[in-house]
Amino acid sequence: MLQSRFKMPSREELKKRMDNIPDNIMKECPVCHATFFSMRAGKQRTCPNCGFGFRITAKRRAKITFDSFNEIDSDITVPKQYTDEKYMAKVAKAKKVTGIKESVLTGIGTLDKMQVAAGIMDPFFVMGSLGSATGEKITRLFEKATDENLPVVMFTASGGARMQEGIHSLMQMAKVSQAVEAHNKAGLLYIVVLCDPTTGGVTASFAMQGDIILAESHALVGFAGRRVIEQTIMKQPPKDFQKAETVLQHGFIDAIVPRSDLKQVLTKLLALHQKKEDANG
Amino acid sequence: MFKKVLVANRGEIAVQIIRALHDMDIEAVAVYSSADKDSLFVHLADEAICIGGPQPSDSYLNMTQIVSAATLTGCEAIHPGYGFLSENAEFAELCESCHIKFIGPSHQLISLMGDKANAREAMKSAGVPVIPGSEGDVTSIDQAEKIAEKIGFPVLLKSAAGGGGKGIREVDRPDQLRDAFEQAQREAKASFNDDSMYVEKLIRNAKHVEMQVIADDFGNVVYLPERDCSLQRNHQKVIEESPCVLISPAERKELGEIVAHATLKLGYTNTGTYEFLMDETHHFYFMEMNTRLQVEHTITEEVTGIELVKGQLEVASGEKLSFSQADAAVKGHALECRLNAEDPENNFAPQPGKINHLFFPDGSLGVRIDSGVTNGSFISPFYDSMIAKLIVHLNDRDAVIAKMRRVLGELEITGVTTNQAFLYELISTDRFKKGTYSTSFIENDVLANRRGLDVAKSV
Repeated sequence: MLQSRFKMPSREELKKRMDNIPDNIMKECPVCHATFFSMRAGKQRTCPNCGFGFRITAKRRAKITFDSFNEIDSDITVPKQYTDEKYMAKVAKAKKVTGIKESVLTGIGTLDKMQVAAGIMDPFFVMGSLGSATGEKITRLFEKATDENLPVVMFTASGGARMQEGIHSLMQMAKVSQAVEAHNKAGLLYIVVLCDPTTGGVTASFAMQGDIILAESHALVGFAGRRVIEQTIMKQPPKDFQKAETVLQHGFIDAIVPRSDLKQVLTKLLALHQKKEDANG
Repeated sequence: MFKKVLVANRGEIAVQIIRALHDMDIEAVAVYSSADKDSLFVHLADEAICIGGPQPSDSYLNMTQIVSAATLTGCEAIHPGYGFLSENAEFAELCESCHIKFIGPSHQLISLMGDKANAREAMKSAGVPVIPGSEGDVTSIDQAEKIAEKIGFPVLLKSAAGGGGKGIREVDRPDQLRDAFEQAQREAKASFNDDSMYVEKLIRNAKHVEMQVIADDFGNVVYLPERDCSLQRNHQKVIEESPCVLISPAERKELGEIVAHATLKLGYTNTGTYEFLMDETHHFYFMEMNTRLQVEHTITEEVTGIELVKGQLEVASGEKLSFSQADAAVKGHALECRLNAEDPENNFAPQPGKINHLFFPDGSLGVRIDSGVTNGSFISPFYDSMIAKLIVHLNDRDAVIAKMRRVLGELEITGVTTNQAFLYELISTDRFKKGTYSTSFIENDVLANRRGLDVAKSV
């Protein structure tokens, strides 16, 4: 038996020493279950073992995806008509955590000098839920893209319609879809990247309207949640249910792209879909 | 100043660091593997914690265990020594996030210098002369061919991520490039899981000259007299001396000012060593920077009278350097021989085993022996095979060599085979006495000569 030799600190002293170690210093990958030091996830916030991309804020995604990003409509936020205290507290916290005022960050990004209208939903802003202002920002983004002849890239990450805003939030699905349709009629490209999690009203509208639909590996993609389905059909859904990989097999996704390759793939797709006169110019 | 420091290393360097801590009235905590439970450094430390099994990955490379031990014992800082985690940026960053001072440069600089291509770019822009070679990583043979043609043969192929002599090939002629590149790349992939390569001009008959710096947080930098580490076998240093006999005081000052300026420009703190190749016309070419204390720091301590581990502790604790450039002048000459448990007659294969009898001939002016072993110690197959560093420091180089011959002659060690006789043979050669040996001396002259003798014997 080996004997370490050290002075055991008092209980209070030990607690003080332990406090020097930050709480979230280790991370476990939910996919491959490898444990690693959080900082090893790097700027892209991916598992160093299997490459799984952890949920990230919209601002971080803009930074790691685009060469430059100019935010638009940054002041649009939850309308004043909503006054519920709990809801307001949630929104205030979300603004602090994410650094944005609604659950989607919109703007004009560049990739290899090509301009693109980009919308990035933030899973840390009230679960990326689709509120009235979220819908308004995305609608404006599509309208601007249509006016300026720009393709759109939309990163979806959402728990669905925002229940705190009731019917108004559900109406956003139709509003955004119409703007997407007008953009489509103008002959412009729309690429969707389904991120973890894309569910509910977002899946049921603009997340599935893309000309090209990509997904991040192991992202949850579905409409109703697992529990709701279980209780409705009284059966257990299969293990891989609502995983991007399963959804791909069933034909709703064109390709699964690991986060590390996403920038390159988007750049290529945009270059391939540039109009001829643009390419010559 | 710190009150308690953890030493994340073993063997002789752990002993030296613990001694320096005690000299400064700082408590020392050792961490050790089960294979080292009876080692000298474990006995010398004020507290000692077993952190895992003999495999380095279980113990001396086990970051979680080491940081846990430091936290449990309330250490304010960790000294990583050399090897193991000393140049691991992730470990340095982990220490920082756990409020433990990593005694060394910032993790950003460790990772910058850990990538050869980036390090070269950083040095180039900081005014340090570099070897003509590839800009950025080389991944294909075609790329390598183009660069080799541009800089001219002979060229050296190196793994961009590498070290320790792995993934390195010398190429004399264009028709050899293809095979050599493929081999080196395979080796690099296997050793470092990264097959990006680096191509540079091969400097023949070069001397390996290195210069150490130490810097504090207040913009004070001191460069230390150069070391000549040209006596190498398989890219591993065997004997080092300081100063280099071929370098004039004016050249020393010029090189020193270049590295001091670069250190300041990089924002580098604590100690580090710039390794250069010096060609026959005394041009210097930067090879790499070691972002840690080196094995051969001892000879620099001897010729300057500056205790470097102490200096590291001072600057790491946020104090100003306690000495200036004027204090770092050359005082005499110092020589270090690395005594290893290895068999020179059997391709220098490591010789683990128990040391039955040990006699170190210390106790005369200018003789210093740094060792982590005592009578009855076990040279473990899990770690490097160094038994001791034999250091002699006197005013005059000839006297140094004469005393080293006496020391090597008097030294007794039984139980394990060592390179004692080989070291004696090396310092007795004319080339060594003249000081004109280059990095290929051991391989191309001493060992080739021996092989010749073997052939002659068998005929």
